[in-house]
Amino acid sequence: MTNALATVIIVVSLAAAAYALVTSLRNRAMGWGHLIALGVVEVLLVVQAVLGFMKLADDQGPKQPATFIGYLLAILLIPAAGAGWGMLERTRWGPGVIVVACLAVAVMIVRMNQIWTGNG
Amino acid sequence: MAERDTTTPDTPGTPETPDTADTEAVPDPAATRSGPGRLLVAVYAIFALAAGARAAVQIATKFDEAPLAYVLSAVAAVIYILATVALAMGGRTSRRIAFAALSVELAGVLIVGTLSLADSEAFPDATVWSGYGRGYGFVPLVLPIVGLWWLRRTARADR
Repeated sequence: MTNALATVIIVVSLAAAAYALVTSLRNRAMGWGHLIALGVVEVLLVVQAVLGFMKLADDQGPKQPATFIGYLLAILLIPAAGAGWGMLERTRWGPGVIVVACLAVAVMIVRMNQIWTGNG
Repeated sequence: MAERDTTTPDTPGTPETPDTADTEAVPDPAATRSGPGRLLVAVYAIFALAAGARAAVQIATKFDEAPLAYVLSAVAAVIYILATVALAMGGRTSRRIAFAALSVELAGVLIVGTLSLADSEAFPDATVWSGYGRGYGFVPLVLPIVGLWWLRRTARADR
């Protein structure tokens, strides 16, 4: 797994979570800023998936790659689903959904790092 | 899903006579997925995804190692998926399904949590409910309690 990229994804998703949390606490609905933030996270995750599969094909990574591949693909659904589900809610709970989605992405990346290095 | 064909004429012999009692005192279907419920469904969806992916990997790659734990993983996944969909839909039947799913979930996390601590050999590999959901920050233990409270609250608010 690319450590630099993983760190970037964690930082960006935590920043997006903080941004959405502030919006939620200020009692505002989500806006374009949140969608752009989620879009950035999604693009980074797609890059990670491509690099991840290339490294796996190159025989790097965990001996049992099934769990890692599961994470690699499942994590792609989170920002997109969070954006859609959050958009439907025109209250403070919309950005609340974004907080949950971005925190989930950060936790999953940490978990993927553990699986990659065999400490999971 | 909750829409009903109310244009059907109420003539004798029509088999699909609308049941009027069915439309009374039914909470707004959107209630369970609106406001804080939006967040609840989001968290449930993540657990449905996590439990589902975990069960799929476990059963596909190493089912023989711990069949009991992996079957439980699959059961947990199905319950989370059911709870997510039922809470998101929120009609009369969906509320019942959600109530059942959340009750089973609460019982499951308590029973499996206790068994996993008492007889760790039967659970060599973790399920979402092992150790009362310790591996997931005890969210699996809190989630059904919050969910059942939310179902109760949204039911009362519409009366």
